[in-house]
Amino acid sequence: MSETTSPYREYARHIGLWIIAIALIFVAWELVLVVTGLPAYVIPSPAKAIGVIFDNIPLMQQLTWQTLGETFWGYVVGAILGVVLAVIMSQVPIIHRLLYPALVTSQAVPIVAIAAPLVIIFGFGLTPKLIIVAWIVFFPVVVNVLDGLGSVDQDQVNLARLLGGTRLRTFMIVRLPACIGPLFSGLKIGACYAVTGAVIGEWTASSHIGLGTYLLTANAQMNTAGVYGAMLLLTAIGIGSFLLVVIVEHFATPWRTRMTAPGYFGGNVPTSTSTQKV
Amino acid sequence: MSTEASVKLAIRNVTHNFGTFRALSDVSLDIRDGEFVCILGASGCGKSTLFNAVSGLLNVSAGQILLDGQSIAGKPGQVGYMLQKDLLLPWRTVLGNITLGASLTRGASKADREKAAELARHYGLGDFLRHYPRALSGGMRQRVALMRTIAAGRELMLLDEPFGALDSQTRIGMQQWLLDIWREMKRTVMFVTHDVDEAIFLADRVVVMLPKPGRIGWIVDIPIPRPRRMDCLTSPDFVEIKRQVMEMLYSQATLHGVPGGLKVPA
Repeated sequence: MSETTSPYREYARHIGLWIIAIALIFVAWELVLVVTGLPAYVIPSPAKAIGVIFDNIPLMQQLTWQTLGETFWGYVVGAILGVVLAVIMSQVPIIHRLLYPALVTSQAVPIVAIAAPLVIIFGFGLTPKLIIVAWIVFFPVVVNVLDGLGSVDQDQVNLARLLGGTRLRTFMIVRLPACIGPLFSGLKIGACYAVTGAVIGEWTASSHIGLGTYLLTANAQMNTAGVYGAMLLLTAIGIGSFLLVVIVEHFATPWRTRMTAPGYFGGNVPTSTSTQKV
Repeated sequence: MSTEASVKLAIRNVTHNFGTFRALSDVSLDIRDGEFVCILGASGCGKSTLFNAVSGLLNVSAGQILLDGQSIAGKPGQVGYMLQKDLLLPWRTVLGNITLGASLTRGASKADREKAAELARHYGLGDFLRHYPRALSGGMRQRVALMRTIAAGRELMLLDEPFGALDSQTRIGMQQWLLDIWREMKRTVMFVTHDVDEAIFLADRVVVMLPKPGRIGWIVDIPIPRPRRMDCLTSPDFVEIKRQVMEMLYSQATLHGVPGGLKVPA
């Protein structure tokens, strides 16, 4: 809780560290090439991989939008499904007991094995990709939110009862906010994995090509620079999704980082009608 | 009974068993309207069981608990309640925590928020209304918890060692602050503690509870005049009462052969 440093310096420090970390990966990549002397058709240099992207901007844009769209909408569906499932399961113990083993089973089945039947059922369009991404994303969300809802302090719940709280209001005011932390943990894990789901969906079958489809084609054509270019963009989508969740978390949970509530979060206080003080 | 009208809380022949363990044995106690009663005893004497019974969280095995003549046994929500843990919600501001009672029952209105803000300002929390609990010290957090209890508007307030986790300087300040509030608000208070000084300093009457089974040993009137200031802690009257109370607690302990006398299996 270092209140003396301004939050903007703190943000700048975070962003700086990310840039340094990513730069180090590129340096290591370049070093591997220099040390091993591997030819460019095995591993292209970072400059070549990035060059592929900038030489084909319209195509790369189109591919990225396609994959980004699948990732985003699948993620949204998965996250909402995760929260809704967790809430229902926490409220109805019989559903909890019945569904929990099914949830674990759903993640034990190899995701690639699920992709094929989904394409057979739903065709080459967007639907199977959404389902695959949602399938990956909902699990960490549901597990974390369930844990959060289950670990609410019993004294806190007793207090709510003693204050005469209704069941619904107690749930909304005491129980649900208590699992916001675990919820965001689940959302962050999901954000990193979501893009993998989209790629697997595209690999199985696709009517619109995205980065995953492009990667597969480039690989078949020995276009190594293309493979690495697509990989860089996919990675960027993964990191971007993660950081986006971090930013949303920061503004949605101001009590973790701030001393006082911001105006957008109930920080407005009735003005004093008297100057009386004790 | 002719005195029925002035009795706020009537505990009649309350007995409670946890399995074969008798936690409370035939406890009877009347607390008058506006009275400050401290329940004093070592851990294991059933004071927290009695507290939970009066709060309505615990259904006692036998006996009656009447608030204004109405049975409240097993009915939570009739009395105010505060623990050693402040139980402030980290995601609500000080003001949000004070208005929690209203939010949980019908939604806090603008009037609720204004009233709570006024209350908090009057009792020295005015500069902290927008603060989150994490920004506050332990003493300030307990003040907010007490404000939440008061804002809930119950006439009887149960306080279970509310200052137990605070350092002794802060605790004395909090005790005086509580007495100021009690004098102005005219609520009835049942205050559970194991601290002899605290019990005598605060109470009109101290109820000394004894263990195995949990029961009332003595009820001691505290005739020290109010308002009480810190210097009364060292006055001859105070010291004499303290000597008597200590004797009650420790004579009982030596009956079991060990100071404290409670943790040794029979």
